[in-house]
Amino acid sequence: MTFEELTTYLTEKFGDKLELLETGKFEPFFLIKKENLVEICEAVKTDDKLLIDFLCNIGAIDTGEKFEIVYNLASIKKNIRFDLKLVMEYEGAEVDSVQEVWPCSNWYEREMWELYGINIKNHDNLTRFLLPDEWDQGHPMLKNWDAPDFKRMPEVE
Amino acid sequence: MTEGLRTEEFQVNMGPHHPSTHGVCRFILTMDGEVIVRAEPVIGYLHRSLEKICENRTYAQCIPVMDRFEYCTSMCCNEVFALAVEKLAGIEVPEYAEYLRVIMMELNRIASHMIWYGTTALDLGAITPFLYSFREREDILDMFEMTCGQRLTYNYIRIGGVSKDIPPEFIPKCKEFLATIDHKIDDYERMLTENPIFMVRNKGVGTLSPEMAIAYGVSGPSLRASGIKYDLRRDDPYSIYNRFKFDIPVCHNGDCYDRYIIRIKEMRESAKIVRQALEQLPNAEVNTGKMVKANFKPAKGEVYSRIENSRGEMGVYIQSTGDTKKPLRVKMRGGSYNQLQVMPELVKGVKIADVVAIMASLDIIMPEVDR
Repeated sequence: MTFEELTTYLTEKFGDKLELLETGKFEPFFLIKKENLVEICEAVKTDDKLLIDFLCNIGAIDTGEKFEIVYNLASIKKNIRFDLKLVMEYEGAEVDSVQEVWPCSNWYEREMWELYGINIKNHDNLTRFLLPDEWDQGHPMLKNWDAPDFKRMPEVE
Repeated sequence: MTEGLRTEEFQVNMGPHHPSTHGVCRFILTMDGEVIVRAEPVIGYLHRSLEKICENRTYAQCIPVMDRFEYCTSMCCNEVFALAVEKLAGIEVPEYAEYLRVIMMELNRIASHMIWYGTTALDLGAITPFLYSFREREDILDMFEMTCGQRLTYNYIRIGGVSKDIPPEFIPKCKEFLATIDHKIDDYERMLTENPIFMVRNKGVGTLSPEMAIAYGVSGPSLRASGIKYDLRRDDPYSIYNRFKFDIPVCHNGDCYDRYIIRIKEMRESAKIVRQALEQLPNAEVNTGKMVKANFKPAKGEVYSRIENSRGEMGVYIQSTGDTKKPLRVKMRGGSYNQLQVMPELVKGVKIADVVAIMASLDIIMPEVDR
C-alpha cells in the first residue's frame, strides 16, 4: 500500500479516532487518544488488509511540555509500516499496556516506566530494568532531570 | 530408594560475568534438578544512556555515539542514523558514496557473523573454529583500518555521505579477500556443520515457532530460521540494495542448528553483494558526499528508519523540533533486545547447558540491549 492508500484506508476505518500528523516523513504518523489505544491496536492487528503483526519499537518522548509515546508498527505479511502517537500531560501520565496484542511491548513499556515515570496499566512486571537496583535519582530521561555529574553541552553557533 | 525423598526448586545465578553471555547479562534460573523451570534475564549492566547522550549532542556528533550502540556492526549503526537524518532533512547521497556504504556494511555483516561463528563454537566447547574465523575477520578489519583508521568504532558513514574515499589499495585487497572467502567458509562448515557433537547440541534445541518469533519481535536471521522470509534489504529497501541480486536463505525448524545454517549462508550472500558492488562502483565520478556542518538543523519532523543488521532489525526514531541543533529524542531499537526477551520462553524445560547454546545461536550481544 502506498502512503495515500494507507492513509485513506485507516481514516475510513477509524474515522475521527485518528488524525494524520504533518510531522511524519515517509511513513504516516497518526495521533490517537489513549482511551482508544488498545482497541485500535487490536483492530489493526486483526484487520485482513493490514495484519500489523510486528511491533518495531515503542518510544516515549519528553518534549519539554508534554509526554508523547510513539508506536512504530509493521506488518510482515503485508509489508506495511506506519506509526501511532499519543500525547499526554505530565500530571498522572498513564497508558494501557499493549502486551496482550504484541507480547514484546512488555520490555519497551517497562523501560518507559523506569526512565520517564509513565505508569503502565495492566503491566505484569514493573520493576527496575536498565538502572541499578539502588537508583534513587528519579527518571533520567526527563528534560528537566539533573544530577551533579551531568553536564549539558553548550549550544553550537 | 527415591520414595520419601524431599525435592525442591532452587535458584542458580548465571552471570553477569559468565563468558557465554557476550557482554554482561545475568540470568536468574529457577531449576528443578538440572531442568530449567523459569528464567529471568537481568539487564542494565552495560547501560551507558546513549539515548540521553544523543539528546545532548548535535546531529553530526551523534554518529560516534551510534558506533557504541552495537559495536560488532558499527557501520550499520552509522548508516541507520545517517539514513534517518537524511530522510528528515531531504539530503541526497551521491551514488558513489552509496556504493561505499553498501560495501562497508556487507563486509561488516560478514565480520559480525564471524564473531558469532567463533564465539558460538567457543561456547559449545570447540576452540579451533574461533581461531579460523578471527583470522579472516582480521582481513576485514584491516580493510576498515586502511579506509577510516579504526578497527571497531568506525565513524565512517556520515550524514550526507561517507567521511573519505577508499584508498587505492582497498580494492585489490577486497578482491583478494572475496576470491578466497567461499573456500574459507567451506572450511568453517567442514568443522561444524556435520560435526556429530555440534549437531546433537543444536538440533531440536531452542525451537522458536514463527508465531512466537513475530509476537516477540524477533527479526533478522533468527526470524528467517523459523521459516519467515523477511529481509529489510528486500522488503523495505534502503540505500541501493534493490540493485543487487542476492538470495534470502530460509530454514523451517527454527532450532539452534537452523539459525547456524542461516548465518553461514548469509555470509556467502553478503560476499555476493560486495562483489557486485565492486563491479558496479562508478569510477568516473568519485564523490563521497558533502558532510553536514556542526550547526546543521533539519526541519521539524519525526522519522523511524530501519535497516537489516546482522542481528535483525535495527531502527532509530528521531524527532527534530526544527529550532535547535540537537535532536529532541533519539530512540534506538536493536535486534538483540527482542531476541533476549524471547529467551525465557525458549529455555523453559531445557537443561542448563542448552541455555548457552540457545543464547549463542540467537546472537545476542549486550551493548545493543542495554544501550
